[in-house]
Amino acid sequence: MIPLTKVVEISPTTRHEGHSKLVLKVNEAGIIETGNWCSITPVRGVEKLAIGKTMEQVPKIASRVCGICPVAHTLAGIESMEASIKCEIPRDAKLLRHILQLGNRLHSIALHDILILPDMYLPGTDMKINPFSAEEPVRSVAKRIQRIREIGQTLCQLSGGEAIHPSNPRIGGMYKACSPVAKTKMYDLAKEGLVLAHEQMDFMIAILRNFQNRDWSEVGGMKVQIPKNLGYHNQGYMATDPFYGSSSLDDNPTWDMDRFKEVRPWDWYMGETEVTLAEPRYPIGGTTPVGTKVNPQMEACTGIPLYDGQPVEVGPRARLVKYKGFDEKGTIGQNIAREMEFTDCLYSMIDAIDEYNPAGKVLADFIPQGDGSLGWAANEAPRGTDVHIAQVKDGKVQYYSMLVPTTWNFATCSAALAGAPWQLAEVVVRGYDPCVSCATHMIVLDEDERIVAQRLIQ
Amino acid sequence: MGTELGNYKSVVSARCTDKEILKGAQDGGIVTQLFAFALESGIIDGAIVAGNGAEPWRPEPVVATTRAELLAARGTKYNLSPNMSLIKEVTRSYGMDKVGIVGTPCQMQALRKGQVYPIGLRDVGDKIALAVGIFCMENFPYQSIIQLVEDHAAMKMESVKKMEIGKGKFWVYGKRGQVVQLPLKVTHKYEQPGCHVCLDYVANLGDISTGSVGSPDGWSTVFVRSRNGDSVWAKAIAAGCFETQPMEKVKPGLELVTKLANEKITKNKKTLEGRATFGVGKGLRNPYL
Repeated sequence: MIPLTKVVEISPTTRHEGHSKLVLKVNEAGIIETGNWCSITPVRGVEKLAIGKTMEQVPKIASRVCGICPVAHTLAGIESMEASIKCEIPRDAKLLRHILQLGNRLHSIALHDILILPDMYLPGTDMKINPFSAEEPVRSVAKRIQRIREIGQTLCQLSGGEAIHPSNPRIGGMYKACSPVAKTKMYDLAKEGLVLAHEQMDFMIAILRNFQNRDWSEVGGMKVQIPKNLGYHNQGYMATDPFYGSSSLDDNPTWDMDRFKEVRPWDWYMGETEVTLAEPRYPIGGTTPVGTKVNPQMEACTGIPLYDGQPVEVGPRARLVKYKGFDEKGTIGQNIAREMEFTDCLYSMIDAIDEYNPAGKVLADFIPQGDGSLGWAANEAPRGTDVHIAQVKDGKVQYYSMLVPTTWNFATCSAALAGAPWQLAEVVVRGYDPCVSCATHMIVLDEDERIVAQRLIQ
Repeated sequence: MGTELGNYKSVVSARCTDKEILKGAQDGGIVTQLFAFALESGIIDGAIVAGNGAEPWRPEPVVATTRAELLAARGTKYNLSPNMSLIKEVTRSYGMDKVGIVGTPCQMQALRKGQVYPIGLRDVGDKIALAVGIFCMENFPYQSIIQLVEDHAAMKMESVKKMEIGKGKFWVYGKRGQVVQLPLKVTHKYEQPGCHVCLDYVANLGDISTGSVGSPDGWSTVFVRSRNGDSVWAKAIAAGCFETQPMEKVKPGLELVTKLANEKITKNKKTLEGRATFGVGKGLRNPYL
């Protein structure tokens, strides 16, 4: 008997950060029954190589996990060390970190717009958007996006020393205070950015709503039905702050380590199977040929972090659900939530710039060297909650773990794939703005390490 | 050689018209006046200069954003001031878009290299608004200057008012009027070894370069080199910042500059060539290859 379920694989996936693939079990209509989205980025093992290194060095290494959201890893890394050694940093240093954080979010949202626009249609037409086109209205949109990114990165350079891998943050605060000239410049840039962000947000929401109202989308010459519940899932949401984050130093931390547990990929992903459906028209270059063996359990390069025993969604929508009562589900709701953060992050940044005192000190008077206590810090990265956990003793890192947004989202997004036509699986994935190299910095927590090593050897 | 003075549009002997600047200036007050003018007229937001460090006569690179800060950096300090160490930071936490920088020939080279090959210098190159080079025969580590002043010239560092290398001598002027001159022969072993492979005397890569050699005391020799340098210089002249004399009218004139430049380059080229066969069957690295 011919099985009704077929397996199709899209590898690699495109228009997101890093290297991943989709293994999809679909029914005869091409609708996904079980979707496995897995990272196939080589594990770089930042957490293991951090052990024994100085607490100053490790966050600068962690920053190199990702070049789109290095700010998140730098700040979460540093603040996890500060939480472990119990170092309170001065207010003006916090404000500079806040500006840096939001400058990065601004640029990251704008960058993601470029990645999702080619899935979308110019309203009222059957023409997809090519952001590289020299034609209007796309050209002005692309220019606006680039200016927003330039503003975001310049803000990061001024407050954080560098837009990609910020140099200014350090254990105990910041190396440099911004001059009054830099403060004025940041303010002017944020004000200019605000106008553009309003325009860009309105534009993107109109584009997304138009997609939502369409019945079909064209993929590689195939006319694919767009389900009304594209990307719906019933997993929960997790967020620690609308803008910045939280740490174990806080009076009322907004993340609970006891509710977190991490399991291995083979507890979650499907086992060995064979590709039985191939589509050469899938842009560009077709899907994996029929007969190829795939094994997501063994190939997935991330652990599966659980919160209250379940995978959760993190990111802009999780933040909006938790802090603003946002209630729209699915891929489009997720993208709209991201666009809504555009202006929020600039308003918050302008407040921080206003409050910042250039004459204030930015380094703690006393930086303890640590006694090996556990500290954690959560940073609300552009893609969601980035939790770093550290133990520092005598200035050296004894234990380090990173729970990165896209790691949280991998299993959640896999669940959200069910019910979508396989040709739109990548559209669902892009709703999460995945950052796969972020997600793939390690395998699992150390108590499981032995088992992981054994499984990989098999 | 013919290329020892680099490319330039014009060369003059000049002195600034501002008496206050001139009072503490090493020579004609060119650098201080140029930056003060550029600051007032909005050509630069600030300038990286060799300010005063924690110890006497030890320079520390600072970003001067006021006339007072510029004035505080007047005078030659004959030891290393790593001015380029601020070139990126000035565009970051200092928030500047139009940067002025003064430096020796090697620092002008570093600046230009950073603009053409910006390795780790993102968004820096296009923010350089005015680069002023100063002539340089060689430099000394701080410890060398202590040795020369405190041992050879027998003077406390704190009591020194001015140091000068000129007319074949190392001059140390005390605050109480003492003057000690040391033959340059004495100073040679104290030179920074890295200076011995330098093939640039009159800061060939500055927008404008200036130095004492070739002009009378209290005056400076000024090479206006780039299009940008030419435009800034013309504006400064129009604003009455400088009095000038044609180079050919002053003594000792360009002839001496050329002669000294030739001597430096010839001597250091020999050092470079020596490095190629420094070992037996092997040599030392040559950065110019």
